[in-house]
Amino acid sequence: MKRHRSPIGSSALGAIEMAKSLLIISRQAPWSGPGAREALDIALAGGAFDLPLGVLFLDDGVFQLQAAQQPGQLQQKNLAANLQALPMFGVDELFVSSVSLAERGMDAGNLSLAAQPLDEAELSALVDRYDQVITL
Amino acid sequence: MTTLHVLSHSPFGDNRLASCLRLLGNADAVLLTGDAVYALQPGSEPRRQLSERRLATRLFALEEDLQARAIDPAGLALAIDYPAFVELSIRFDKVNSWL
Amino acid sequence: MSTLTVGSRSVALDKDGYLQDLGDWSRDVAHALAAQEDLELSPEHWEVLELLRQFYQEFQLSPATRPLIKYTALKLGPEKGNSLHLNRLFKGTPAKLAAKLAGLPKPTNCI
Repeated sequence: MKRHRSPIGSSALGAIEMAKSLLIISRQAPWSGPGAREALDIALAGGAFDLPLGVLFLDDGVFQLQAAQQPGQLQQKNLAANLQALPMFGVDELFVSSVSLAERGMDAGNLSLAAQPLDEAELSALVDRYDQVITL
Repeated sequence: MTTLHVLSHSPFGDNRLASCLRLLGNADAVLLTGDAVYALQPGSEPRRQLSERRLATRLFALEEDLQARAIDPAGLALAIDYPAFVELSIRFDKVNSWL
Repeated sequence: MSTLTVGSRSVALDKDGYLQDLGDWSRDVAHALAAQEDLELSPEHWEVLELLRQFYQEFQLSPATRPLIKYTALKLGPEKGNSLHLNRLFKGTPAKLAAKLAGLPKPTNCI
């Protein structure tokens, strides 16, 4: 895919090529506090700047992926719709804890966004794989 | 790559510690700061879970937070000061703060 | 904050010249906004503006440059969905300028 680079200096470009990979662990429910929004904003900003990053939905964070949410009356930005833009922003590495899903009676096949379910052993392997990790 | 997981919330009524233990790798360490040191409260369920994991030299707690809360880490966690915290942050490849 | 006069109507703009109220948008408003930028809207501009409005409908946010290119390539093909074409149409800042003309909020995450 052809990618647009803004006209910035070659040293800055070098910094982007060398960028460290980042895993964002999003573990807050979508509508009650700023955590889920902050995690998404970091992912969208990182994606817009071509950073290699992944998002893991853990604990109550999996509620962000509940299908058919209708937050229209909440007077908040529509996080559920915004989440759908992650692949457009180049963020394709999306993961979800299968234990967190099972605890909440949710099915990996019925999420609003395609995320790869991971078991417990795969979770620690995932964290290991990234250069940096941030948990919100 | 090794990760130092930093916790600062009380484990009672919050599942950060439990989730952290779920994705803790074999070479990863845990540092308890602030109210997270309550996880070392003798006779408590979080302390039992921590002992079960046998983290040995991979479990740390910030000394001043232990002292302020009258929590004794003996036999389970190593009490460290801020310079040691900094040293730990450097020793591990990355630091994951459970915000 | 300023206002834009379109025919007999006056439309409120924010400090960056984007519509205060997305509901104020119309093709006439787009023409007036473009005129302020010394831009004449061609059919090629229009298809991108329509696409942006569709993007906003779908995701409820304005795309940064990279997702704009990706979305355009997906919907209109790679000969339209590339930085050269979009930069040429929108004076080198397609994400910002096209969002403005399409009546969307200013994109965050843009240099």
